[in-house]
Order: sequence, then C-alpha cells, then structure tokens
Amino acid sequence: MRGEATVEAPVRAAPRSEPSARWRARDRAKWFFLLPGVVWILLFTIFPLLYAIRMSLHAYRFGIEGAFVGLGNFQRLLTDAVLHEDLVTTFQFVISSVAVEMVVGVSLALLFNREMRGRGLLRTLATLPLFATPVAIGYLGITLFYEEGGPVNAFIQTLGGSQVPWLSNPFWAKVAIILLDIWQWTPFVFLVSLAGLQGLSQDLTEASEVDGAAWWQSLVFIILPLMAPLLWLILLLRAIEAFKVFDTVVTLTAGGPGRATEVISRYTYITMRKFSDYGYAAAQGFLLLLIVAILFTLLWSRIKHNYGAPR
Amino acid sequence: MVSAASARPVHPEYVRAQNPGKTARKIATRIALIVVSAIVIVWIAFPFYWAFLNSIKPAVDTFGSKWIPWVQFEPRLDTWQRVWSIREVRQGLLTSATIGLGGATLATAFGVPAAYAIARFRFGTKGNMAMTNWFLSQRIMPPVIFAPPIFILARTLGLLDTVLALVLLAGTFNIPFVVLIMSQMFRDLPVELEESAQVDGASRWEIFRRIALPLVAPGVVASWLIVLAFSWNEVFFALVVASKDAIPMTMYIVGLSGTRGVDFPAASTMALLMIAVPTIIALTCQRFIVRGLSLGAVKG
Repeated sequence: MRGEATVEAPVRAAPRSEPSARWRARDRAKWFFLLPGVVWILLFTIFPLLYAIRMSLHAYRFGIEGAFVGLGNFQRLLTDAVLHEDLVTTFQFVISSVAVEMVVGVSLALLFNREMRGRGLLRTLATLPLFATPVAIGYLGITLFYEEGGPVNAFIQTLGGSQVPWLSNPFWAKVAIILLDIWQWTPFVFLVSLAGLQGLSQDLTEASEVDGAAWWQSLVFIILPLMAPLLWLILLLRAIEAFKVFDTVVTLTAGGPGRATEVISRYTYITMRKFSDYGYAAAQGFLLLLIVAILFTLLWSRIKHNYGAPR
Repeated sequence: MVSAASARPVHPEYVRAQNPGKTARKIATRIALIVVSAIVIVWIAFPFYWAFLNSIKPAVDTFGSKWIPWVQFEPRLDTWQRVWSIREVRQGLLTSATIGLGGATLATAFGVPAAYAIARFRFGTKGNMAMTNWFLSQRIMPPVIFAPPIFILARTLGLLDTVLALVLLAGTFNIPFVVLIMSQMFRDLPVELEESAQVDGASRWEIFRRIALPLVAPGVVASWLIVLAFSWNEVFFALVVASKDAIPMTMYIVGLSGTRGVDFPAASTMALLMIAVPTIIALTCQRFIVRGLSLGAVKG
C-alpha cells in the first residue's frame, strides 16, 4: 500500500486483481447473495418510509391516526419557532464540534506521522473513546462537569480560573456537549487521517524537501491536496453523525437548561413520545432527512473515489 | 512501518547535511511530541480513570483530592456490589447483551453475502457503484426518520416493548455497515483462487463458503464484534420501542440521568459496566477500526 500510492488515488489500496469476464457473465447466483440483505433492509426502511409519508399527512393525537391534514404538518415546520431554535442549536453544535475535531485531529495526525516509540499505544488509546457508549459518557459527564468541585472545574480553578457554571448556564451547557463530542470523536479524525497519511508516498515529500521546500510548503502544496478526498470524507461522516446527536445530550443535559441544548433529534423524540404527535414528528424526520441528503449530495462527488468509483 | 518498504531516491542523511539547522529543529520537534503525547494521553484517559476511581472510592471522598488507590485511600467494592444488586441493572445488561449478540449475528448473516455479491459479481455497468452508494446512504440515514413509523408498526405487530423488536432493528440498521466493510475486504482478496476453483467446477456457493469466507474470517469476526458494540451502545430505538420489559442498560441510564441528584459512585460504576464491553471490542479489533469507521474507505 505505502509504495504504490499515487497522485491519482492517494489513499486507495494497491490495484486489485479484477474479476475476469467469467464473473461478468450472466449469473443468477449473484442475486442469491445480494437479495436477502437488500430485501431485508427494504422491508425495514422503505415500508416505514412510505408509512411515514402517510403519517406526516395526518394529524396524530395520542398515537391514534386522526384527520387527513394534507401538508399541515409541513407548514408547522415553517412556523414552529421552537423547532427553528433547536435547528440553530444543532447547527451550532455541528459546526463547532466538527471544526475543532477536524483541525485538532488532522494536526495530531500530521504531528504523529513519523517513526516514534509509543505510537502504537497512542493509537490503541485513541480507539477507546470511539467505542465508549455515548449514553454512559454523557452520564459520566454530569459528574465530570459538576459545578461544585467536579474535576473539570477543579482543574480550571487550579489554573486560577473561576468556577464555570457548566450545566446551569445556557452557553456553557452548549460548550459542555460540544466538549464531550470533541473528546469522543477527535480520535476518529486522528486515526483515519493518520492512516491516510501513512498511505501517502514518502518520495514526494522527500523530493520537495530536497528541493528546499519548507515544511509548511510541502504541507500546503503536497500533503493537503493529496489528502483532500479523504479529508472531505472524514468531514462528511463527522458532520452527518453530528447532526444525529442525541445520546450524549439526553444524558448530560436533557436539552437544558431551558432549551439551550435541545437538538433536533431530541425534539422529534419528545414530539413523538411526550406529545404523541406522530404526524408532526414524521414531518420533522423528513426535514432532517432533507438536511442530511443535501450534505450527502454536496459532498458525494468529492468522496466517491474513496469507495472505488472511477474518476 | 513506513520507511522500510519504500525505496528512497535520496539518502536522508544527505538531506540533513544540506540543512544544518535541522538538528535544533529535531530536538524541538521531539520535545513537542512528548508534551503533546502526554496531553493527549491524559485527555483521553482521564474520564475512564475518574470513573474507575469513583467506583472504588467511598462517596464521602468523591471531591477530595485522592487520586491513588491503596496509597491515598483503601479501595472498596461495595459500590460495585450495590449496583450489581439492582435487578434493573442485571436485567438491562442482559437485554443489552441479547440485542448486541442478536443484532450482530443478523447483520453479519445478511451483510456478508451481499458484500460478496458487490465485490465479485457485475451488476450492469454502474450497478455495483450504485449499490455501494445505496448502502452508504442507508448507513448515514438519521434513525429519527424511522422512529415514528416504527413505533406505530411495532404497535400494530404487537412488537412494542419486546427484545425481539430491538434485535431486529439493531440487526437491520447495521447491515449496510457490514456490507461496506466486507465488500472492501473481499475485493482485497486475489480473485484468481476463486476463479481456479470455478474452473474445477465448484459452485458459487461452494467458492464463497470454502474459499472466500475462510480468507476473510478475521474481518467477519471483526465486523460482527463492531456491530455488537454499536448495538450494545444503541439507545434511540430502545427509547422509541421499549417501555418496561425490554429496557437495555443504555435506556436504564437515560432514565437515571433524568432524576435529580447524581450518585457519583453508582453513576461511575454503571458507566464502566456499560463501557467495558465496547472497550474490550475496541481493543480486540484494533486492526479493523479505522477501516470500519471510515466505512471501508481507508485501510487501517
């Protein structure tokens, strides 16, 4: 992998042996392999999606389908000030946490992309937050961000800062959920971009070094352009995951104080389970789908090479 | 890992000789590396250590500056015993384990053959790419979209508040993950072996079962484990579908977090119980994690 990486496809594996014409031939067996999985997923997604369309066109009250309201639920999306506030909160969350994760993660990957003792240990350690149950991390966060003498505040006060009202102040509560996300997901950016960097050919950077390029020149003109497709991919995956944020918010702040950390997923959940307003919840679901679909379409053309699409 | 294999056109010593200021910079880089490593290690490890400490510290010492067990305080296991004695905790862990094992098995059983189909067979000129794209889009679809209809459908089918519903949901929504990862793994296998078996008259199924599958077995196990961790960590569908009898540990914790006043030792212990399983999985699947989380785009 390392030697062969080229300018065309910096992070792809070495050319694979392609199946010969024998596999291209008409072969019914392929459906036997493919269809169970596809049909199964369709059963669980297309059917609910169609049902969700139907639901979004009806008024649901207390879990019972009511009158047909046409686009009424979608009109509510436009006028619901609470929803708009939660959308703003969600965007604030996504932009701040993903920006920090990208910058810190990629910087760390660049820094640790060299022979050094203990790098394996660092990589192992970095995988732990990724898998740590978000709900549990949020719950633990209540103790970490505890205002009267919790470890985070104790640390800040040791440094001479004042006590931060993490969970009782709207601004700091937002910072707290962003910090948790950064703790959990910066390692993802770090690990994936480190793997990408290690897939780059050493020759190019060394050649530029011989030609007298400063480190920042080889970074800006060689490494980053080669890494661009992968960085877009990381950005896309992170942004979409961040839009779905739910678990940590539910346990750490439960949307509070007030509605300061109410995010779209939790609002939909509340609309559904607390207000039993399933029609409107379905309409909200479609709004979120639209946002994610736009993100995906915007970035897909930049990243599809990572999945083996021809250029 | 990097330097050994790549043939260097210019000896590095030569580069260094051209650039005398490099030695000072090397030392600076080294110090920076050590400092940054230390910060990163503390930053990542602290929450785990904090949870561990609280789980073995008596509640009165929570806010004291006692950081080293045996030296500064005598570790006790009574919080662990107290937490374990809660029936809902044991029940929750059992439910989580069932969802994890069931979901992982379901997703792997459906996902691996589909991955093989995408990696090996041709579905028209653009079919394979379209299929990958479709699985990817399924993977990134926000679960919130499915929540309202799934609640109503589960109610209609009498599956509300059953572990079966949660196993089905965990399994289904993780199939795309398995397909994306495993199709990349199958593609990395040399196809010649399978083709020669075909010449010898083996059926597609035999080739898959006897040649391809054993070769990617570590990958299959890793995907199974990773999906197990995902399903274990899942809470959204549980909150939608479960209410009393099928409450996994994640949902139990959500319930606790909503109450006023947090019992620090118990909270830490439950968080550790929850995190233990995915942590072990993360340590076991080191080699596959980068590939898994980048949905197959990058080899780790």
